[in-house]
Amino acid sequence: MPTVRIRNASEYPEAAQKLFDLSKAWFAHDFADPPAMSRVMAWDPEFGGPHGRAMKRAMAPGEFTRAEKEMVAAVVSGANACRY
Amino acid sequence: MKEDALWYEAAYVVGITNALNVVADGLPPDVLPPLAESAADVQTRAVIDEIRAFYGEVPAPFLTVARDPRYLSDLWAAVRHGFDEHRLTRRLKEALAFAVSLTSRSAFGTRLHLAQLRRLGVGEGGVMEVVGVAQMFSSYTKIADTLQLASDMGDIAPVDPTPAPGGRVARPSTGRPRRT
Repeated sequence: MPTVRIRNASEYPEAAQKLFDLSKAWFAHDFADPPAMSRVMAWDPEFGGPHGRAMKRAMAPGEFTRAEKEMVAAVVSGANACRY
Repeated sequence: MKEDALWYEAAYVVGITNALNVVADGLPPDVLPPLAESAADVQTRAVIDEIRAFYGEVPAPFLTVARDPRYLSDLWAAVRHGFDEHRLTRRLKEALAFAVSLTSRSAFGTRLHLAQLRRLGVGEGGVMEVVGVAQMFSSYTKIADTLQLASDMGDIAPVDPTPAPGGRVARPSTGRPRRT
């Protein structure tokens, strides 16, 4: 049970809707609702914006592919014992 | 990365990396001195030589456990198989091991796998990519945990219907309830 109420997408301002569209594009998945993490990060765009850009930069193909980096991200999440 | 086989392979790397890190970081030489190579029997020395050929060095935890040659031999066989190239490249496996070691604050593992990444030709840019991913997902995971978010993205990945290696494809369920 989340410690905060995760707002519905409709409760966010117009600017956040663009972030949710970017989130769909990033995951190449048509979510019924934006993922909870996207909604959390859209709460304060001055934090979520640069955090998201840093994540995209880190995940962009370089010496390692995006798929390889997704696997690195998964094992890091496992090491942090995070089920999300 | 759709096939489960890739994820089994990654999980083995994470597990055996953690196993080495636990001994290396938890049992420093002043707590449990490593076996001197000169004191090793012929078979143990052969295993140690194989380890050296694989890494270009002999990572400390192998010498720590070398006091039990049969255990060393089995541990090494598991590590070797885990890090050998099957479906995933050795390079990616070292990146996974580096990221896990960094995330779990293993000074030993971080140094070892960073050295292995460089040895395999990964440049500073590539190292920074792995550091960036480890750092950003250490942030996301803690935000998710602090807010106790329930996973809502686990089912976006396709299910792999293939059987275990050498096994048979499962028959599709009839949908009938099981008799108890």
